[in-house]
Amino acid sequence: MTEMEPYEAGIDRLLRRSMDAPAPTLSSDFEERLMRKVGQESAGLDRYGRMVLTGYGLASIVVSGVVMRAQGLGWGTIAVTILGPLALVAAAPWVRRLGQMQ
Amino acid sequence: MVETDSQLVARAQSGDQQAFAELVRRHKAQVFRLAVSILGREFIPEAEDVTQEVFLKVHNAIASFRGEAEFSSWIYRITFNQAVNLKARVRFRSPHADETVLYDTATPEPGPDRRAEAAQRNQALADCMGTLPEVYQSALRLYYWLGCDVGEVAELLGVPENTAKSYLHRARQILHGMLKQKGYSCD
Repeated sequence: MTEMEPYEAGIDRLLRRSMDAPAPTLSSDFEERLMRKVGQESAGLDRYGRMVLTGYGLASIVVSGVVMRAQGLGWGTIAVTILGPLALVAAAPWVRRLGQMQ
Repeated sequence: MVETDSQLVARAQSGDQQAFAELVRRHKAQVFRLAVSILGREFIPEAEDVTQEVFLKVHNAIASFRGEAEFSSWIYRITFNQAVNLKARVRFRSPHADETVLYDTATPEPGPDRRAEAAQRNQALADCMGTLPEVYQSALRLYYWLGCDVGEVAELLGVPENTAKSYLHRARQILHGMLKQKGYSCD
């Protein structure tokens, strides 16, 4: 309780009387809904990240192809230059597994 | 052993959802109270939305929380700003929010004349309250409606206890003056 000047007692009583109502509470399923939303947002961010990465990869391939073609390279060489590293990256886990088996 | 907020925050920062859920469990009621105290009685569903938004913001920003302030102070500050922004938007849409003519349901005045008089005085009080600065309104609702003591009011508003006391004192003083000017007695 705060220290009150005499004139404040009246307004204090009025406020107490006027605001006398039960305090509201959160819905009982608030936490459940919130955690579901948190999960959805996290999954959304992952999906967004994957989309950005895929877009970046595709754009790089197209730009590299165009630049190499402009330099006079043949389509075969361009395909090997682009697909070779991709094949190596894709094969890496398989090679590692093979090494572990031996 | 009960973990401190700092320990839970550290775990949540490394992606532990259980730790985050525990932080929500600990602070949700206070965050909701603060949001309700700013928005008022006619916006209880909006206060719940604000509470949810606050925790989603906290979840997204927890990696950047450096622990320079208490976790609770940080989250209350976010709540205050979020609720004040929402209130400004709501007020822009419907500038005549009515505070549901205050909450006087428990002790109806005897007789129609007294009831009408009390209703008019409550309307005047609601109008006057609406003109007070946000922190004063929030302090009044926390103290008189939501049953917080001065210490809790101070913690939720992020101010020292003496400042919370002076908010309440000043708010009563202004309301008293305004009601008197409108010709209402406070007794």
